[in-house]
Amino acid sequence: MATLPKRIIKETERLVSDPVPGITASPSDDNLRYFEVTIDGPSLSPYANGKFQLELYLPDEYPMCAPKVRFLTKIYHPNIDKLGRICLDVLKDNWSPALQIRTILLSIQALLGAPNPDDPLANDVAQEWKQDEQKAISVAKEWTEKYAVSKD
Amino acid sequence: MSKVPRNFKLLEELEKGEKGLGAESISYGLANQDDITMTYWNGTILGPPHSNHENRIYSLTIICDETYPDKPPKVRFTTKINLPCVDSEGHVIISNFETLKNWKRSYTMETVLLELRKSMALATNKKLPQPVENSTY
Repeated sequence: MATLPKRIIKETERLVSDPVPGITASPSDDNLRYFEVTIDGPSLSPYANGKFQLELYLPDEYPMCAPKVRFLTKIYHPNIDKLGRICLDVLKDNWSPALQIRTILLSIQALLGAPNPDDPLANDVAQEWKQDEQKAISVAKEWTEKYAVSKD
Repeated sequence: MSKVPRNFKLLEELEKGEKGLGAESISYGLANQDDITMTYWNGTILGPPHSNHENRIYSLTIICDETYPDKPPKVRFTTKINLPCVDSEGHVIISNFETLKNWKRSYTMETVLLELRKSMALATNKKLPQPVENSTY
């Protein structure tokens, strides 16, 4: 395996030694560019009490391009589609090498607290969100309960 | 080059298929739009010209299980076809099809579909008698 850039080693060390509250990220044993991630739903959001699983991959071009991130836990959110793909500016055009894995994960956590139905990825969800926000929020809570809250 | 994990490789392939960036003679997409595991896919191949396959459209199913792309996908024609690398139920026989037999991690579903199309156009295959058009297994 090719040697891992210093930057990735440093970021990984810090993620482990100084974790972000409510977020975990650990590299997989056989691929140090591939991380298992969990994000706790923000407390004042429909995703509260949920623990969402994600996967993150640092392409060869990182940090000149953004990490690739996807939700593995089903989630009802206007900016996250059925396959867990995320619509977030810092993962696309607004990526900058000054950003890091931890800042990206914080942005995703913030996105859970502030859904943006005007810039949708999941069109049907965004539509429902705009038509009846209260109902959409209650569906998001149901899904959180059903898919993201551990039952034990 | 680092190893792109299965899910991110499949997401790349999906995006290419969704945007229609690939070859025009083939297409592919998820069988079920909310299959978060991205295991079951559908493919189509437009029969190559100057062959008995000309103007025919072949449908296939492709299964990318947990071992993909370290191992090749499982490919099956649902439209009936007469080809040496396809068995009597439509399954592509790995040992008879070079692309699956000598599988490389860099290959994609697009590679498989394009190579199958090439095999339909081979001098030894292009005039093989074919089943009634659009009959299925």
